[in-house]
Amino acid sequence: MLRAQRGDERAFETLVREHWETAFRLAYLITHSAADAEDATQEAFVKGWRALGRFRPSAPFRPWLLRIVANEARNRRRSSGRRAHLAIRAQAVQVSGDAAPSPEELVVAEDVRRRLLADLERLPEQARMVLACRYLLELSEVETAAALGVRPGTVKSRTARAIEQMRRHRG
Amino acid sequence: MAELERELRGLAAELEWPPTPPVVLRLEPQRHRVGRRRAVWLALAVAAVALVAAMSVPASRSAILRVLHLGGVTVEKVDVLPPAQQRPLAADLGPEVDVATAQAALGSAVRLPRLDRPLELHLRQGVVSALLETPAPVLLSEFRANAFVLKKIAGSATSVEWLRIGRVTGLWITGARHLVALPAVPPRLAGNVLLWQSGPITYRLEGKSLDRQAALRLAAEIEGT
Repeated sequence: MLRAQRGDERAFETLVREHWETAFRLAYLITHSAADAEDATQEAFVKGWRALGRFRPSAPFRPWLLRIVANEARNRRRSSGRRAHLAIRAQAVQVSGDAAPSPEELVVAEDVRRRLLADLERLPEQARMVLACRYLLELSEVETAAALGVRPGTVKSRTARAIEQMRRHRG
Repeated sequence: MAELERELRGLAAELEWPPTPPVVLRLEPQRHRVGRRRAVWLALAVAAVALVAAMSVPASRSAILRVLHLGGVTVEKVDVLPPAQQRPLAADLGPEVDVATAQAALGSAVRLPRLDRPLELHLRQGVVSALLETPAPVLLSEFRANAFVLKKIAGSATSVEWLRIGRVTGLWITGARHLVALPAVPPRLAGNVLLWQSGPITYRLEGKSLDRQAALRLAAEIEGT
């Protein structure tokens, strides 16, 4: 980090590579477009590079970076006027070997995943985003707070409320 | 952990995300040597200039689809190009100044391509300009702050290409109409443009009949490569 702050581009690129995939997926969750997510991620990292001189080395880097990525992605979504939804699907289950589940078990597993995504999709955006950040991107509370621009305590309460909403939807 | 949370955690590994694109970063040199207080004032001044430049373009009518920055230039990709006039390259360049005044404004040496004869230098809002005869007219601009807002129309008709000029990165903007906006000057339609940054100074070459090869040759001469 100190090397990057002194202007070492290679050191910054190492930091970037470490967080690139998470940053891109966070941008994708917000923009719902791979092209916009790519642009937002790249632009956010360039802005991060410019702002690196103001970053306190003792603070955690990832939340700081994800906040910039999320802001950039939100700006792009506002410009595109795209409707908020989850825009991701569950992978088709592919297994092989003797221990492979039966076709019936596969159908059930896929159905569970599809229902889970559909339940997430039905949530209001605030609730959906907090669960997507916490569970689908596996961000910490602090990272989620930075991405959503709220306090960690708010992430905790929103998560609890969103889970409760999902449970109610499931009946 | 409750079942629902467990299911959500399990889902993370089984999602079909779009492929993560490769890391492509175009970084500019950092300028950390500026003192903190001075940097704040500088940032405010730059923001004010950029805001004035942006306000001079009727932007509210069209959505900004993509923004690129290179040195002191912002390139915005928009869905609708705001109204702009076709005006000569030599319009609105500001008064003629001597080399010393131009260099004082830039805080750096004015860099020019190899020339057969001396050039007239002009200065407006911190932008030093010179009209080159190549023989077709090409406008060379050199500046420090975020003085320009360029808008290009969305779609494949206008292309924005990243390229290398010696050791620095540049942008080559060509194709369909795009416009250039400077503070306190009405936006005008722009020709083909090559942009690059070298040290603290951003360089811009513009000409209606300027082709990529000629632009790169001029840039290489300015860069001394």
